[in-house]
Amino acid sequence: MENVIECKNLTHYYGDRLIYENLSFNVPKGRILGLLGKNGTGKTTSINILSGYLTPKEGECLIFGENIQNMNPILRQNIGLLIEGHVQYQFMTISQIERFYSSFYPKWKKEAYYELMNKLQVSPNQMISRMSCGQRSQVALGLILAQDPDLLVLDDFSLGLDPGYRRLFVDYLRQYANEDGKTIFLTSHIIQDMERLIDDCIIMDYGSILIQKSVDELLNEFNCYNIKVPDGYNLSGDYNLSSDKALYNPSITNNSLEVFSFLSKSDMCVKLNEMKVPYQEIESKTLNLEDAFIGLTGKY
Amino acid sequence: MIKAIFYKEWLKVRWFYFVANVALLSFTIYSILKISRVIKIKGVEHLWEVMLYRDAIFIDMLKYVPLIIGILLAVVQFIPEMNKKCLKLTLHLPCSNMKMVMSMVLSGFVILVASFSVSLITLKIFLSNHFAGELQSQVIMTSLPWYIAGILSYFLVSWVCLEPTWKRRVVNLIISAIVLKIFFFSSKPQAYNDFLPWLMIYSISALTLSWLSVIRFKAGKQD
Repeated sequence: MENVIECKNLTHYYGDRLIYENLSFNVPKGRILGLLGKNGTGKTTSINILSGYLTPKEGECLIFGENIQNMNPILRQNIGLLIEGHVQYQFMTISQIERFYSSFYPKWKKEAYYELMNKLQVSPNQMISRMSCGQRSQVALGLILAQDPDLLVLDDFSLGLDPGYRRLFVDYLRQYANEDGKTIFLTSHIIQDMERLIDDCIIMDYGSILIQKSVDELLNEFNCYNIKVPDGYNLSGDYNLSSDKALYNPSITNNSLEVFSFLSKSDMCVKLNEMKVPYQEIESKTLNLEDAFIGLTGKY
Repeated sequence: MIKAIFYKEWLKVRWFYFVANVALLSFTIYSILKISRVIKIKGVEHLWEVMLYRDAIFIDMLKYVPLIIGILLAVVQFIPEMNKKCLKLTLHLPCSNMKMVMSMVLSGFVILVASFSVSLITLKIFLSNHFAGELQSQVIMTSLPWYIAGILSYFLVSWVCLEPTWKRRVVNLIISAIVLKIFFFSSKPQAYNDFLPWLMIYSISALTLSWLSVIRFKAGKQD
């Protein structure tokens, strides 16, 4: 499958603090890929590198086969960028901003922008500085839809939006992505929104990628097990569950051990026997994306 | 595309342009009225004498006005770009980043030149009705470095505003203040005459400084 984005061996530091090392990932054409990670794992850093506003210490990012640092500017006609906080020119009005952007994009769809603006019921003379974050998000979205790019890069699209505007945003993005060959790369701190939207996900931990999979694959393969253990059982026995790479974030509440894993139930039982865990019952739970995210990255 | 860039810059500075023109013209007209009053009371011959023997030019109150206008124009034009990192939107447009930044700075330059020209032309028309060519040139040539300082202050403050880190902004600001001080060392009429072409070249070349700040912005420099 053709890749629209290719990031190879990215390494970045802020001062002495390592953000990540040798990070590589691809975004295939026609897919919606969500970048998930806790605060400080480098999501915005990745978006900044991808949009050319940060030079990584090592590695390179290619978009449509060209290095982002010296990309032909015309290629940017095909890349829609949403900056964190739905930032737009505050000194412009609804109509002025449309007029300004339309000069740069040959495929400009004025009607797509005004369709969204009519739904907001704002006057064309409304200043963007006097709009709420939700309204501003619709202006930013309308401009991106009018631009009609083949790739969308969205940094924390749900930031500051109430549930209604979040839903509206996701619905429009879904509709947009259903068109042929449109690719979306996005981050959001609200994982429920991502679940309704994304095909694939990358889950980042501090310094590296934990997994890159399709959401369906992840939810089918990743499990949460609730295991009944005798009173007084703790994790720091001869066999430390926390240090086993097949088991993610084991925790005990009362006499219930919770652990996440890609192992099937039968393999999990074998594993528990191998580790001499005195379990009595084992139950697996269906996960949503947020559960899977917490399972992989932990609560803290 | 260039037209659209100018349109965006115009939207940011149009109110300031109006206010700056009114302020500059007010100061220019006030200076003219002051000279007219002296002519009326003491006669034009007295004025000529004072200008020749006492090095007076009678428009001293205009001295820092172009400088202040240049500084404020850069602030009005570039602070909105740095607010919430809006510059990212500008640099993401499908146009060469350098062309984009230079067009933005050039549009401010054109606005300043337009504003300063009105002031200088008004002054020149008034002076040509009352003074000999040499005295007219004494006044105009003495005031010219002030206007050039206005243009240079615009370029320098643009450089400061577009700089992404506070530490470097302070350094740039100190350098700018030192560089601008050169224009105000001497208050003697026509003190800068021989030096004027160099001052112009030196000022115009400062146009490129903004690009240095944008390169740093693009590299992700931050405090």
